[in-house]
Amino acid sequence: MKTVIVYKWARNPEDAAVRADGTVDWRNARMTAGEDDFAALEAARAIAPEGELIGLTIGDGDASWALARGVLQAVAVTDAAPLADNAATAAIIAAAIRRIGGVDAVVIGDSEEYSGVPVALAGLLGWPAVAHATSAEAAGGRIRVVRKQGRNDQTISLATPAVISIAAASPEKKVPGMKELLAARKRPITRQTLADIDAAGPDGVTTKGTRLPDGAAARLFDGDPANAARQLVAALRDEGVL
Amino acid sequence: MSRTWIIVTEEKPVAALAAAARALGKTVAAVVVGPRALADAAALAGPDEVTWIDAGQDRGVEAFAAPVAGLIAGDAPKAVLAGASPESRVLAGRVAATMSASLVPGVLSLSMAEDRIVMDRSGLDGRVIETLEAAGPVVAIYAGDDIPAATERSGAGAAVTPLVAEGVADIVIEKTEPAAGADAGITKAQVVVSVGRGLRKKEDLSIIRDLASAVGGEIGCSMPVADDLGWVEKDRYVGRSGQHIAPRLYIAVGIQGAPQHLEGIRGARIVVGINNDPEAPIFKASDYGIVGDLYEVVPALLTALCN
Ligand SMILES: Cc1cc2nc3c(=O)[nH]c(=O)nc-3n(C[C@H](O)[C@H](O)[C@H](O)COP(=O)(O)OP(=O)(O)OC[C@H]3O[C@@H](n4cnc5c(N)ncnc54)[C@H](O)[C@@H]3O)c2cc1C
Ligand SMILES: Nc1ncnc2c1ncn2[C@@H]1O[C@H](COP(=O)(O)O)[C@@H](O)[C@H]1O
Repeated sequence: MKTVIVYKWARNPEDAAVRADGTVDWRNARMTAGEDDFAALEAARAIAPEGELIGLTIGDGDASWALARGVLQAVAVTDAAPLADNAATAAIIAAAIRRIGGVDAVVIGDSEEYSGVPVALAGLLGWPAVAHATSAEAAGGRIRVVRKQGRNDQTISLATPAVISIAAASPEKKVPGMKELLAARKRPITRQTLADIDAAGPDGVTTKGTRLPDGAAARLFDGDPANAARQLVAALRDEGVL
Repeated sequence: MSRTWIIVTEEKPVAALAAAARALGKTVAAVVVGPRALADAAALAGPDEVTWIDAGQDRGVEAFAAPVAGLIAGDAPKAVLAGASPESRVLAGRVAATMSASLVPGVLSLSMAEDRIVMDRSGLDGRVIETLEAAGPVVAIYAGDDIPAATERSGAGAAVTPLVAEGVADIVIEKTEPAAGADAGITKAQVVVSVGRGLRKKEDLSIIRDLASAVGGEIGCSMPVADDLGWVEKDRYVGRSGQHIAPRLYIAVGIQGAPQHLEGIRGARIVVGINNDPEAPIFKASDYGIVGDLYEVVPALLTALCN
C-alpha cells in the first residue's frame, strides 16, 4: 500500500517563552518534529512495506527526520511559510500528495495545536478519514485503525485511499543515533517549491496578536509548611471538597 | 438572513456550540450525525433548527462527511462551528474543503467586525490566547468549556428534520470494547491524590498513600511514575493517554503540570498543586497551591487534617 507519512518540522512550541505582556518569544525554540509524528510513522510502517513508504514535510525543514527513522525516500516542499489557516496548510500538503500520485494512504500526526490540518487534508483529497487513532494496520486492501472513544476502544475499518491521523501515547522512546543520522544523509530527498506543485493558496486568516489567558491565579500558601497546610485544609473545607 | 451552522456528533458541547454561534447574531442551524436521541437532545440545547442524519449502527460518523458538507456548503454560511471530538473534526475538515473556507482549531469565541469573523483561539497549550481575523468564511473547531443546556426552556425545542444521506463513505466500526483500565477505581473517585516524579523513591509512596486515605481518596500519578518507573499501576496514571477523570478534588503532589497531564483533569472541580518550584505550570492550572518540599508539606497536611 503506497503510503505517505506527513511530518511537521517546526519550532518547538514548548520552547517558546510567553512574555508578561502576552507576546511570544520564539528565539530559543529549537526545530523539532511534531510530538505525535513518530507514532504516525510507526502506524505508517504497519500499513506499508519499506519500499512503499514516502516521507513528506513542508516548510524549510530538515526532511531527514523520517529518513533517519528508516524511511527510504522523502519529499520536501521547501518554500511553504507557516500559516494560521489549517486549511491553507492542508492545501499545500494535498497538492504535494497529488503530485506524488497513486497514494493509497496518508498518515499524519494529530497535533493538538494544528488539529485542523489532518481533517482539512482529508476533506481536500475527498478521502475517508479517521482522526486521533492510536494504531493502524493494512487488512485485505483496507486500513484498520484503533481509536479510544471515551472509555472504549473502537476498531474501525476504512476503504482506501484514506487519511489517518495518529495521536501519540507517550514521548518517542528510541531516538535515532549518529549511525542512523549518517545513513539518512545518503537517502534521496526530492525538493519542490509551491510553484512546482501548483499550490499557492493564500492564508485566509491573519493574526492580530496574543495575550495572556485571564483565568484567576491559584491561591498560593507558602512559608512554614505547618501553617500553609492548615490554611489549605481550611480553604478546602470551606469549598466543601473535604 | 443566512445561518450559522454547528456540527454535532455528541451531546456534551452542543449548548456551548450553540451559544458561541449565537454570538454572531444569525439563525443557528445544527446538523446532527448520530442516533435520534442525540438529535432530540441537541434540539433542546439551543439551536433554532436541527437537521438529523441517522448514522445507523456500524457506520463511523465520519462516513457522513460528504452529505454534511453538501448540506452546509449549499447554504453558503459565513461561519461553521464544530466540536473538537475526532468525529466532529473530520466532518469539519470536509465542510471547510467543500466551502473553500478557512479552518481554525482551538477557537474559544467568535464575533463579527464589519464583515469579518474575529476569533479568540487558545494557543501554545493554553499559555496564550491569540486573536485571529478571517476575510472569508470560516470553519472553527470549538475548544471552549462545555456549558449545561438551559433546563427551563419554553416549548419543545427546535424542530428536527431528518435527512437521508447520500454519498456515505466506506468507514465501518468493526467492534467497540471497554479500554484497558476503563473501570479502575480512580475513574469514579471523588478525591484523587496524584504523585509525580517529585517523589524520590518508591518506598516514599507510603506518605502519599497516607494522605490519600486521610482525605478518603484514590492514588493517581503522572505518566512517568507508572510507565517509566512502574511504581504505580498503569491504570492509575492521569492524562492525555491515561485516565480522564473528574473528581471534586485533585491534589497533584510533585507533578510539574505538563499539558498532556492536565488534559486528564479538565473535569476536576478543585485542583491543588504541591510543588517546590513556584514557576511549575501546575500552579497555573490550580485553584490552591503550596510552594514547598512535598516531604515537609505532605506530613504537615496529615497533621492539619487530623485537627
Ligand atoms: C504524546 C505524549 C503523551 C503524554 N501523555 C501523558 C499523560 O497521559 N500523563 C502524564 O502525566 N504525562 C504524559 N506525558 C508526559 C508529560 O509530557 C510529562 O513529561 C510528565 O507528565 C511529567 O511528569 P511529572 O510532572 O511527574 O515529572 P517532572 O516533569 O519531572 O516534574 C516533577 C515535578 O516535581 C517537582 N518536585 C521535585 N522535587 C520535589 C519535592 N521534593 N517536592 C515538591 N515538588 C518537587 C518539580 O519541581 C517538578 O515540577 C506525555 C508526553 C507525550 C509526549
Ligand atoms: N502535520 C503537518 N505537516 C506539515 N506541516 C505542518 C503540519 N501541521 C502544521 N504544519 C505547518 O507547520 C507550521 C508550524 O510552524 P511554527 O509556526 O514554526 O510552529 C504551521 O504553520 C503549519 O503551516
